[in-house]
Amino acid sequence: MAEVKVKKEANLSDPAEVENRIKELCHQFPQGITDQVIQNDLPHLEPQQRAMAINKLLSLGQLDLLRNSSGLLYRLKDSQSTSKMKGSDNQEKLVYQIIEDAGNKGIWSRDIRFKSNLPLTEINKILKNLESKKLIKAVKSVAASKKKVYMLYNLQPDRSVTGGAWYSDQDFESEFVEVLNQQCFKFLQSKAEAARDSKQSPMVQRNSSFATSHEVWKYICELGISKVDLSMDDIETILNTLIYDGKVEMTVIAAKEGTVGSVDGQMKLYRGVNAVIQPTGLVKTPCGLCPVFEDCHEGGEISPSSCIYMTEWLDF
Amino acid sequence: MTAQEVRLCGLLLHEHFGEVVEKVGTHLLRSGAQNLRTIIHETGLSVDLVKKSLMVLVQHGACLFSSGRKGPGSPTEYRSGCDRILRILRYPRYIYTAKTLYGDTGELVVEELLQRGHMTMSGTVKTVADRLTQNMEEGRSMDYSEVSSAFSKLVETHFLQRCPKLAGAGTADTSAIPPTPESFPDCYKVPHMTLVGRGKRQLAAEDGEDQRNAKRQKMDSENSESVPGIYWQVNFERFHLHFRDQAIISAVANKLDQTSSEIVRTMLRMSEVTTSPAATCTKPLSANEIFRSLPASYNIPRPILDQYLTLLVDDPMEFVGKAGESGGGMYVVNLHRALANLARATLESVVQERFGSRSARIFRLLLRKRHLEQKQVEDFAMIPAKEAKDMLYTLLSQNLVQLQEIPKTPDYAPSRTFYLYTVNQLPTARMLLQNCYKTVANLIERRLFESKESKRLLEKSQRIEAILASLQASGAEPEQLTEVEEMITAPEKQQLDALKLHINKLDSAENQVDETIFLLESYVNSTATSTG
Repeated sequence: MAEVKVKKEANLSDPAEVENRIKELCHQFPQGITDQVIQNDLPHLEPQQRAMAINKLLSLGQLDLLRNSSGLLYRLKDSQSTSKMKGSDNQEKLVYQIIEDAGNKGIWSRDIRFKSNLPLTEINKILKNLESKKLIKAVKSVAASKKKVYMLYNLQPDRSVTGGAWYSDQDFESEFVEVLNQQCFKFLQSKAEAARDSKQSPMVQRNSSFATSHEVWKYICELGISKVDLSMDDIETILNTLIYDGKVEMTVIAAKEGTVGSVDGQMKLYRGVNAVIQPTGLVKTPCGLCPVFEDCHEGGEISPSSCIYMTEWLDF
Repeated sequence: MTAQEVRLCGLLLHEHFGEVVEKVGTHLLRSGAQNLRTIIHETGLSVDLVKKSLMVLVQHGACLFSSGRKGPGSPTEYRSGCDRILRILRYPRYIYTAKTLYGDTGELVVEELLQRGHMTMSGTVKTVADRLTQNMEEGRSMDYSEVSSAFSKLVETHFLQRCPKLAGAGTADTSAIPPTPESFPDCYKVPHMTLVGRGKRQLAAEDGEDQRNAKRQKMDSENSESVPGIYWQVNFERFHLHFRDQAIISAVANKLDQTSSEIVRTMLRMSEVTTSPAATCTKPLSANEIFRSLPASYNIPRPILDQYLTLLVDDPMEFVGKAGESGGGMYVVNLHRALANLARATLESVVQERFGSRSARIFRLLLRKRHLEQKQVEDFAMIPAKEAKDMLYTLLSQNLVQLQEIPKTPDYAPSRTFYLYTVNQLPTARMLLQNCYKTVANLIERRLFESKESKRLLEKSQRIEAILASLQASGAEPEQLTEVEEMITAPEKQQLDALKLHINKLDSAENQVDETIFLLESYVNSTATSTG
């Protein structure tokens, strides 16, 4: 105990010793230490010396400065990343830190400029530098095709940037969506037909023609037409498009927690339906589908008497 | 009274009543209420012709007269409305409905009344009996009593009604609205008359016999017509209610199954006379009553009926609603909501046929979700951004979709405003209704054009038919007949057949568009009464 005390006394005056002490404290608390902790540990250290030591560690790149709700936090930087930054100057480190903070959503070059207050030319130079060092990469966003977001090299881009399961290489896969659409509809339609042919009481018929979103998801997974793994949410968006096509209707029922496929105590049920009316009378005539309907009037160049669409339709 | 409606009314008047009536009719439609002198002056026709045309229009209920605006002493004013004239388009449908419900007799009664406008019961019965007798075999004739019973049945179910008594020119009529037929308590009461007689066959008799027949007919009419002055007309509203019920039943049959549609048909039949035409839903019917009134062929057990009713109530289309629990559950048919759903399905079908199923997907999506941004439309509909944009702009240019701006700043700067797409069902339905009127007018004009083109050919074929008929009647040899037939060459015959086909096609197309017109009109009228 006495030795420790002596050691401590000796540390007070040597700045290197102060730095080492702080580093040891950081090792003890890997999630970060506040200024208060350092003060408690070295009560006789003057604030000025403390500040000097911390600044030295920060400039050496061995300490990370973070802010949380209660104040500033100091965290030991892992040695791997410290080696990377050797040879880079402060500005690059700053930009790198900003990009790292953006996580896997990436950050736009203009936002980097706002956060670091560096001029645009400097930012571009630094970004090119970092890219050549293979520390960061640019990912094209699917929302705005000209916008490029930067993120760390080894990170997987987030779904909102690449668009998720429906996009491959920034292109919307419409055939894939169409195929899924058809398959889901066929599944629900065959289920409804099976229920109708069973000739049981109407309530049972209707209930057996329903399929939960979980069942549809399992069916699509088993079909194996998708190269990408689809989640239940994806299947639900496909089923929603079928609702907008007027081919399917949906109800929500309360389900016990823990039954397969239930989300927050509810389950969505889907069922194939028939159209309510036949195609209406207006569209059975050429005028209902005519592209120049507005320009047509008697005595003009386009008129009912000379209409070529009508002539074709009458001779049909 | 839009331009398209006036154009269509003009064409219909021309076809059914001739050019003079058309001139007077369209003039009245365009200019509102006018007195006789102004009409004569502005149409440039003679007094006689104008008077006769006005008579024709009043006879058919297309024109109403009332005392002038300046007071009881001023000349009467005439005004006409588009609705009554547009009904002419629907005559074939009325006649067909009467045929399905009451057989040939009913069909002919309704046809006669539609042709004449207003007629007495005895007059109608006689004419119909004569017509029916003509088509029967030799030696048989139609009894008046059968025709009268058909007539009474039509009146009992409110398909025919008495014409309202119009006030004379001298009386001070304080109310500006002409009395509706329903305001008279005797509207549907058949007068107690005994019409005795049988239908007379029209024979090609000599003049002497004709005179004798005429005299006998006159004496007969004096004996049997005991109640003069009661004129009858067709009750269009009742026919419309019937069509509306039919549309609802077929929609239920399409969506669910046959048994559900039978249940809905029973419910509608039970509330035929108890529901007012403008009601939002029928009177509540208890499940017990429905069970008792089901047709005998459908003997479904009571619990199954309850299940069907529950299913009808749960259906998203909301045709049937539950109004209470007494008597095993009280159920109503939601008429206005059913009409709105049918109109919505009509709009969706028009968009689908005209622009494709992906545009129809966007349209349905906007109908459901009300207001959406461009990006959201692409995400929900799962259509690539470029194509979705294209489709939305096409729909916007055709006015089927509207744009709603929501600004973030007081100046409507485009970069700081939200643009939301939306569909308003009622204005879109009105727009489509006008398009339907224009379409029907186009079809009629095309039909007239086709007949005019081949006028020469038609006249020739008519002449040849007349020659053939006269030769056959006077007993000519077969060679003479074939000689006459050969006067029409083969290509001309082909042309005639093609012409007949074209005209039939155009005619049936008019009837099909009329079905759309009926749905959209009922929907627009139902919203007017519920909000107004």
